Amino acid sequence: MRLRRIGRIARWEVTKGAGTLDRKTVFALVVLALLVGVVGVSAFDDGGGLEDGIYVVGVDAESAEGDPYRQVVAASPEFRLEETTITAFRLGESDADVFVGGPRLLESDGSTKGDAAYAAFRDAIERYNYESMLAEPDEAAAFPVTVSVQYQERAPASADGSGSGDASSGGFDGSGAEGGAGSGGAPDGASSGSGEGGGLGIPDVGGGLGERIEAGTPSALSPPFPFGPLILAFLFVVPMNFVIQAYGSTILDERIKRRGELLLVSPASRYEIVAGKTLPYLLGLVAIVVVLAVALEGGVLSVLGALPIALVFLAATFVGAMLARSFKELTFVTVAISVFMTTYTFVPAIFTEVTAIALISPLTIVVMDLQGESVTLGQYLFSTGPFYLVAAVLFLLGIGLYREEDMFAQKAIPAKVVDALVSRLHGYRSVPLLSILFVPFVFVGQLLAVALLFPAPEALALPLLLVFAAAIEELAKSIHVYAGIARSRFDASLRTALVLGVLSGGGFFVGEKLTHAVQFVGLPDLPAGQVVFGQALTSDPLLVLALFLVPLVVHATTATISAIGASYGRTQYAAAFVLATLLHAGYNLGVILLVV
Amino acid sequence: MLGSEATWSAKWAIARRELASLRTEKTIVLAIVIQVFIAAFSSFLVVGLVSLYDPTSVEGGELVVAVTGDDPEALLAAAAERDGIDARWASDRSSAYSAFEERRVAAVLDASRDADGRLAVRVTAPDEGIGTTLLIVELRGLLEDVERTERASSVDRLETVPLAVPADAGASPYFGFTYTVLLPLLLFLPVFISGSIVVDSLTEERQRGTLELLRVAPLSLADVVDAKLVSMAALAPVQAIAWLVLLVLNGTAVANVPALVILVAALALIVVGAGVAIALVAPDRRQAQLLFSGTVIGILVVASVLPEHPANTVAKLAVGSATSVTWLLFAGYCLLGAATFFGVRWGVARLEAESL
Amino acid sequence: MIEVSNLRKEYGGFVAVEDSTFSVARGEVFGVVGPNGAGKTTTLKTLAGLIEPTAGTATVAGLPAGDPETAAILGFLPEESPLYEEMTATAYLEFFADLYDVPRAVARERIAETLDRLDLEHRERRIGNMSKGMKRKVAIARALVNDPEVLIFDEPASGLDPLTTNYIVEFTRELSEAGKTVVFSAHNLFHVESICDRVIIMADGNIVARGSLEEIREAHGGTTYHVYATVETAVGVAVRENGHVRHTVSDMDAVDDVRRRVETEGGRVVDIQTHTPSLEEIFLDVARREEAR
Repeated sequence: MRLRRIGRIARWEVTKGAGTLDRKTVFALVVLALLVGVVGVSAFDDGGGLEDGIYVVGVDAESAEGDPYRQVVAASPEFRLEETTITAFRLGESDADVFVGGPRLLESDGSTKGDAAYAAFRDAIERYNYESMLAEPDEAAAFPVTVSVQYQERAPASADGSGSGDASSGGFDGSGAEGGAGSGGAPDGASSGSGEGGGLGIPDVGGGLGERIEAGTPSALSPPFPFGPLILAFLFVVPMNFVIQAYGSTILDERIKRRGELLLVSPASRYEIVAGKTLPYLLGLVAIVVVLAVALEGGVLSVLGALPIALVFLAATFVGAMLARSFKELTFVTVAISVFMTTYTFVPAIFTEVTAIALISPLTIVVMDLQGESVTLGQYLFSTGPFYLVAAVLFLLGIGLYREEDMFAQKAIPAKVVDALVSRLHGYRSVPLLSILFVPFVFVGQLLAVALLFPAPEALALPLLLVFAAAIEELAKSIHVYAGIARSRFDASLRTALVLGVLSGGGFFVGEKLTHAVQFVGLPDLPAGQVVFGQALTSDPLLVLALFLVPLVVHATTATISAIGASYGRTQYAAAFVLATLLHAGYNLGVILLVV
Repeated sequence: MLGSEATWSAKWAIARRELASLRTEKTIVLAIVIQVFIAAFSSFLVVGLVSLYDPTSVEGGELVVAVTGDDPEALLAAAAERDGIDARWASDRSSAYSAFEERRVAAVLDASRDADGRLAVRVTAPDEGIGTTLLIVELRGLLEDVERTERASSVDRLETVPLAVPADAGASPYFGFTYTVLLPLLLFLPVFISGSIVVDSLTEERQRGTLELLRVAPLSLADVVDAKLVSMAALAPVQAIAWLVLLVLNGTAVANVPALVILVAALALIVVGAGVAIALVAPDRRQAQLLFSGTVIGILVVASVLPEHPANTVAKLAVGSATSVTWLLFAGYCLLGAATFFGVRWGVARLEAESL
Repeated sequence: MIEVSNLRKEYGGFVAVEDSTFSVARGEVFGVVGPNGAGKTTTLKTLAGLIEPTAGTATVAGLPAGDPETAAILGFLPEESPLYEEMTATAYLEFFADLYDVPRAVARERIAETLDRLDLEHRERRIGNMSKGMKRKVAIARALVNDPEVLIFDEPASGLDPLTTNYIVEFTRELSEAGKTVVFSAHNLFHVESICDRVIIMADGNIVARGSLEEIREAHGGTTYHVYATVETAVGVAVRENGHVRHTVSDMDAVDDVRRRVETEGGRVVDIQTHTPSLEEIFLDVARREEAR
């Protein structure tokens, strides 16, 4: 790796990119932005009008023009007025969803829409009352109740170190009344967290807790918006979605019409080329993240939390652009990456304050930083480690494809994937290493499966989950072995297959235990024994050791089955893979039955 | 305007190739997955947020709050009327606050009368994220009840009497969201995706130089572009039908289904037509996509100067509250769609091949 | 300068180059000839380090092909010259000079000189707006930007008009006179004949003929005799031509044989000619034979 050369390619990438944005495009974009700005500001002042006129409110045709209920309708754009009679309404002869005929007469037509209209009209009446009270000269009579709210921090329900176990459940359900057990630390009086919490200042969403004494009426009481930091953290992810579009384009551009061929014959290695082409986008993202962090009063931790997300965004896009056969395909690949990554980082971060598992998303680190919470090194590693690893593996696999044969040919994607894997196989030692490196992917895949199957009925979800979890592990243990045999990196003998299977299974086992170790460091709240040794069934050390080693045997056995299948060919590999998966799923089922 | 039989079959061949490439590249599968994901994600967020602001939809026992101060009766009486809040009288302030500090109560409400005879309530709430939000929502309801009773007692001092608020009937809180956000989103996404595909497809053919090859066949550039435009624009209503069927199966009544499908087709013609124009004018794919996204966002924003936003038109049609303005706009979109189609044809015919 | 031994390249199940061995001496102009799909481009790309051989080795100046040090002394001109169309010719060439670690001043001078020799004007024009011939010249200038020892040209004249083609052939000759080793592939044999010292002929991934042009002529045809007669005999290869039968035979004894047989069958010999085949004919002949096999 020559830094100078990387820098040169990076500079070229930037000037090339800037050069192509021609004046007409810039002009068109500026005009668009102005138009959107001018019209947008005026249009969204009145709420965008999405709900305008979706409900029809019937009023008596006889009623006076100044009827207050007519005014309620007029004041709320979501209603359209229709003059009718109560009889016609009840007979279904009018379009109205709801009929209002006076103080005691508000009636839905019985449909779902009518019920919704009823609820909306009820809200509208309350809004109307509020508005008319505002116009009253006698303020004390109009608003006889004033409210002020002071937010105050309390000592945690259970102190951090105590590990009493109910840490995750205590304090969340909001009551706090039952959570009296963990009174713990001395009350820190009325001193509130005005310093850190208040700084975020999202306008008008009631964020900025801490001491806030503000007199108002009950209706004006706005509940604090709990997702303030989360929404702000979301801002960190938004620019990544745009940057990967350009990044994917520039990578695929190299592959169209063999344009990148000449870079490949130059003394620059493919690592240098890819590093050089990626650097501007990574630096750009880092710059955006730093600016955001400064603007949102986040710290270094915000940047460090966003960095691995940016890396995975770029790495996934890189692999996508290396595999995509056309711009069309690339568009979908990048959108898929956007959607998947945004969801994967965003959704867990919602639960930042609920459970430690939220840390599987590095965005949680950003949220914690924005909330002024501290993050331990263990938490940071647990949260970002898999992301760094995934990014590294994806880049390595993608670079494996960054060569003449795969870049320019319209090869089938599976063949390219096999090529990418083979490029990382250097003898036997690579096999267990790749198995270990695949563990984070397995982790992500299994988590996704849990999330997707969550709403499905349990009778269906559980077996599916069991099989899927086993399948993805088996895939991670065997795909590179298959690739190696298919591309003649290993000979297709039974002996080799045995060796490969054991190596791969063993590697995966080590990887799994490493993840557990990281979990243990990152999430000390979870009881250690359960994590590392599974459920503690016995205290006999020999038995514990045996239980510890059983998974190793299972992993090695199933990996060997797939490896033997792979040594016979593709169909046989598929069959062996299915067999291994079923065996593995059966073992998992057995363990679950034994424990439960 | 209409071509001979030969060009029709050639056009059909291009359209077929276009659709086949979507199939072989599995992009259409990806496109649908993406739409499901976006719809699920937005629904998830809305359901989450709605349930947060609607404490009745959240499980959870009674909130225990301490009421203290000089004038607690109104609060205690209102709390007794409400489910979900258990207000307990604390005779002295300090015991109320220490109960709060020890987490025996969720909040302290300190009520007293001010000089104007108003009830001043000082709420002390914990700073605990989502829990606090739920608490404040619940307390707001309680305080609004108190306000209503207090107001009623001094109604003679008011110029206008507040309208009676009808009883709560418990409607689905997601009804509005389904029609005003989810449905327009599901119907507009395929339109946008079709446009995006056409931009990619055309810029790629230009960059690879295969557009010239196509034109060697007995086809004009307009024919080639036509075939792409129509095949991609046709994809959007097909997906729209799928979404509508899914929604209906899910128990969401959708009115005016044919009109919605036609509307999607018209919008698809407009947006895909814009995509074609941009792809033929913009210098490369990145800029074309940038311009296309910018234009679509621009259209969506600028459309709000219309009497109805397109999303609102979709909502009104789907929920069955269409007015004559809705139908006029509907007709307008159809006309505009046709105009775009012929406009693009006309423009392409005038476009010099060398400028590509 | 270049050593290729037992080179084999497979793509999936398809064998592009089966087993080829050859060497190129310093300063030589070496031609790789063959029909489309013969394995020429694969061979050249292996030399350029773009493709990893499935088996066998390729070395350039003693180092394996693909080594960064090899890349530094190599100039490769691919068949299609894909350029970064949004850059100007000068910017493009300077960018590559940088990648080859050519000092800025040297690069500027070298680029100007090469472009002068190639007669390229409008150097600040974007490559995308250039004609095909101009683009090809930029591509050639790019291959020379590092003043390479070894030049690998894949179909340097493909798709160009005769004038530009001639120009490039002349240019190649000049390069060889300046001591560069040039390997190039072609199916336009006219130019190969005019500038190559030695050639290999490839067909279906195999080298089917090799050597200097004289050697190849000798081995694959040499001088033949065409005996035109009024009747057909079983000697040599008989082809009908202009109302007579042409017998192609390889020596004078066979010519006598044909004459005797023609006479016994009551015909007569019309004409006897000697024939020296062009490389083109040998190439077609070899390719035809390879196909028949």
